[in-house]
Amino acid sequence: MTDIAAPPARTPSSPGPRAGGPLRNRLLGRNPIGSLFALPYMVFVAVIFAFPLGFACYIAFHDYFFTAPGVEVERPFVGLDNFADVLTDPQVLESFRNTAVFLVINVPLTAVGALVLASALNAGIRWAAAFRVAFYVPYLTASVSLVGVWMLLFSSGGLVNSVLGPLAPDPSWLVNSALAMPSIALYVTWKQLGFYILLYLAALQNIPSELHESAATDGATTLQRFRHVTIPGVRSATTLVLILAIITGANLFTEPYLLTNGGGPDGASTTPVLLIYQQGIQQQNPDTASAIGMLLVIAVGLLSLTANRLTRET
Amino acid sequence: MTRTTTWWRYVLLAAAAIVFAFPFYFMVVGAFQENPTNTPDEMFPISGWTFGNFTAINARIDLLGSLANSLIFTAGVLLGTVTFGLLAGYALARLDFRGKSATWVLMMLVQMVPFQLLMIPLYVQITRSYGLGDTYLGMILPFGINTTAVFIFTQFFKALPKEMFEAARIDGASELRILRSVAVPMVRPALVTVVLVTFIGPWNEFLWPFLITKDTSLQPLAVSLANYISNAAQSTANPNGAILAGATALAFPVVILFLLFQRYFTASDIGAAVKG
Amino acid sequence: MKFTKTAALVGAATLMLAACSGGSDPADGGNAAPAGTGPIEIWLSNNEAEIAWGEGVVEAWNAENPDQQVTAQEIPAGSSSEEAITAAITAGTAPCLVYNIATAAVSGWVQQGGLVDLTTFDDGASYIEERGGDSTAAYQNDGGYYQLPWKSNPVMVMYNKDLFEQAGLDPENPGMSTYSDFLDGARQLVDSGVQSAIWPSPTNEFYQPWFDFYPLYLAETGGTQLVEDGAATFDNEAGAAVAEFWSTIYSEELAPQEAATDDAMVSGNTAMQLAGPWAITSYGEDVNVGFMPVPTSGGSEEVVTFADSKNISMFTACENQATAWEFLKFSTSAEADGQLLEATGQMPMRVDLAGTYPDYFEANPMYAAFASQTERVADVPSIPNSVEAWQVFREAYSSAVIFGNTSTEEFLSGSAEEITGLVG
Repeated sequence: MTDIAAPPARTPSSPGPRAGGPLRNRLLGRNPIGSLFALPYMVFVAVIFAFPLGFACYIAFHDYFFTAPGVEVERPFVGLDNFADVLTDPQVLESFRNTAVFLVINVPLTAVGALVLASALNAGIRWAAAFRVAFYVPYLTASVSLVGVWMLLFSSGGLVNSVLGPLAPDPSWLVNSALAMPSIALYVTWKQLGFYILLYLAALQNIPSELHESAATDGATTLQRFRHVTIPGVRSATTLVLILAIITGANLFTEPYLLTNGGGPDGASTTPVLLIYQQGIQQQNPDTASAIGMLLVIAVGLLSLTANRLTRET
Repeated sequence: MTRTTTWWRYVLLAAAAIVFAFPFYFMVVGAFQENPTNTPDEMFPISGWTFGNFTAINARIDLLGSLANSLIFTAGVLLGTVTFGLLAGYALARLDFRGKSATWVLMMLVQMVPFQLLMIPLYVQITRSYGLGDTYLGMILPFGINTTAVFIFTQFFKALPKEMFEAARIDGASELRILRSVAVPMVRPALVTVVLVTFIGPWNEFLWPFLITKDTSLQPLAVSLANYISNAAQSTANPNGAILAGATALAFPVVILFLLFQRYFTASDIGAAVKG
Repeated sequence: MKFTKTAALVGAATLMLAACSGGSDPADGGNAAPAGTGPIEIWLSNNEAEIAWGEGVVEAWNAENPDQQVTAQEIPAGSSSEEAITAAITAGTAPCLVYNIATAAVSGWVQQGGLVDLTTFDDGASYIEERGGDSTAAYQNDGGYYQLPWKSNPVMVMYNKDLFEQAGLDPENPGMSTYSDFLDGARQLVDSGVQSAIWPSPTNEFYQPWFDFYPLYLAETGGTQLVEDGAATFDNEAGAAVAEFWSTIYSEELAPQEAATDDAMVSGNTAMQLAGPWAITSYGEDVNVGFMPVPTSGGSEEVVTFADSKNISMFTACENQATAWEFLKFSTSAEADGQLLEATGQMPMRVDLAGTYPDYFEANPMYAAFASQTERVADVPSIPNSVEAWQVFREAYSSAVIFGNTSTEEFLSGSAEEITGLVG
């Protein structure tokens, strides 16, 4: 305990007179070997993603469609036309609204649910292994089969409605414009939660048990310990969970594609990526699809930055 | 007081476990049914058991060959992710170097851009520029280093107490040595997470390997089974049984892997590592 | 810190631009004259019976042409095969022939420069027209044949005879050829306790109209396609009649607003379904199936319906196009078509089908009805932006007819105007 609480000694990573001097530090950083460590990843990203990404950006500003090699066609630069088209398309606006509904439900539920279940699991209880397997099972099962089960549960004559009896919504969940997106958000939370529980479990194991013990000797209740020891202890994991949940939520595709069969009912579960797929691949209009993609990336980037800020300050 | 909290924990965990495991139960039971229907009153069948759904799959696709392809595909991705992802994650979390923020920006970009947007340009690049159509390498490449895994490594190393690393630096250890003797031994819980997370991606991935391989002898299990399912859904009298059996066959190896690996979740004793 | 961030962005952008300009170097090919013999590659749909047929044909060809070997590979049916083909065209890795082409996707691929106009072969147009008759004209794009109309699955009303009998309808002759008779019969079925009278998939995919609105519209108009002469045709009395018909079905809950979670015919949850002959084998022994032509407002003996054809296209990436053309003819000969019919029960699109294969239809009387129906079919129009137009149509239909959120008038005029704008 004392080792951890001890004030940091003068270390190479705190500024001070060193062989290389501040100039070298400013040019290459204090640990230039870091570039070497990160290099394979950088090269990988450059080799694999730089071209498609730059290409998508290029397409968004041109009147573009894919052609066979050697076919010469005119693809004039159209400035922001594609973006104007996209932003005046009510369907696109609705898809962003739908995503907002999704995120508002999914992200908090994911973060809270995963942390609560992970800390319950981490408390050294019996059968922890069996519980972990149960939580992880939806995450590792392919969506094709799980979607069928959810349709069964939430169809008008399904299990959920039988249990609810007269309280069952009409029209039923997945064909009800107001409930389709929340149903999908619940489904995704459930499917992904195991993964986030894993993240939190790994983080929880980094909290020295001495912290919990000393808090307990000070007379803190379980709830107080959860608030003052657990939550601050997993802050960096929380940032990661929030950012990943936002990103996967914004990239939602499989579920509206399979669960509500192409964004139904009546477009109430259309998402931006579903539109990218429909317009870019099915309808061969990659230009407007790319414009949607660019807007999505910007929106997600801003949201992730905000999430990063918030978890850092609290 | 301790007893009541424990009691609560079990109720919470058990309730959640049932909710989470139920569809898996449904899938496995349906896979062994002659005619699974999606009606709630037949949740607990007592008759109509059959292996027919699986023998039908086995007759139609080369299960062992596809399994081997899946393993090659997944192993390639795991290898790339664990080695290079760990390096990158450690550097991003613990080292200060030129290009650090560039790496962050790229990581965020890669993570945020939907695959549907990149699919066709990526396919053109891999097949035409790199000539890797119908090869394992072409299949593995886009998944080569899982960005989520780099995030996980980074976040993990950030959460480790600073003092552990600084103590080693004072002793004059090189960065490579610190990585090897301090960081890597500590990384086990994150490593298990990374392996499980990375494994799922290529294992269940259908679209990319399907695009890149038309040669059936190279196709991983997910592609073969998806082909089988799309075909069975059209022309079999028992499409649900075929679909559930296909999904079960795909999920089974992952469950086994998880059961084998999950005992490594036990906490590593960080306090001891710091002191010693 | 700020500086490195900017530098990173600039660096990334440069990388992208460099990669981008490197990727778009022009390659040759494209407009090469159809010549060249040698080995070719073909893609078959992954339907088991079709693969067996394809492998047989390939084997027979390879035995006779050792220097022009054909290799067959399978791709899954449905939308993912269209993605694979689009990507393969763009990369120049498409095979020579694909035996699973949906007409709606053709215009996009023609625009991509991915398909070979078969009329560039000396006997191209004459072969296609001799085999398929006059109806092949509807499969032209810009005056050229970019697909050979191969086989169809004419859509009819399939019904469960047992459920009909139970509801007091005559299973052999239900007498439901007019809208009012059909609706009466449907009400009778639902009253008798069947969950739904008919269950078209009420989902949003662009191709779903082909199995609810479109067959009835073709029947009502005697074969007027959705778009003709660059303008939408359905904003009229006939379109309104069909829309009203389906709207009644949904508003009276004769059909559910959600997709079936399993095969509704097999599970007995619906008494009727719109489908082609391929469905007969999938019902197997579970359903005592009968079929009748799709209804029209006034009732008619000889109605036109949706062809649901799958066709064959040749790709510009193919090096040995002469071999590909010869193999295409070989695999669509009277003999090969007969084997296809025998193996799959799907209808080759050739003139006088029933007269060409009398033995088959005598042995399989169930399929004879479809053979006569194949003489009165129409397909989706060959129009630019085809998939987009159908998606627009579907969304407007879904909103008005299935969910009743807008009026059918709004749906007809609104989507007709938008579609005319798209294809014009």
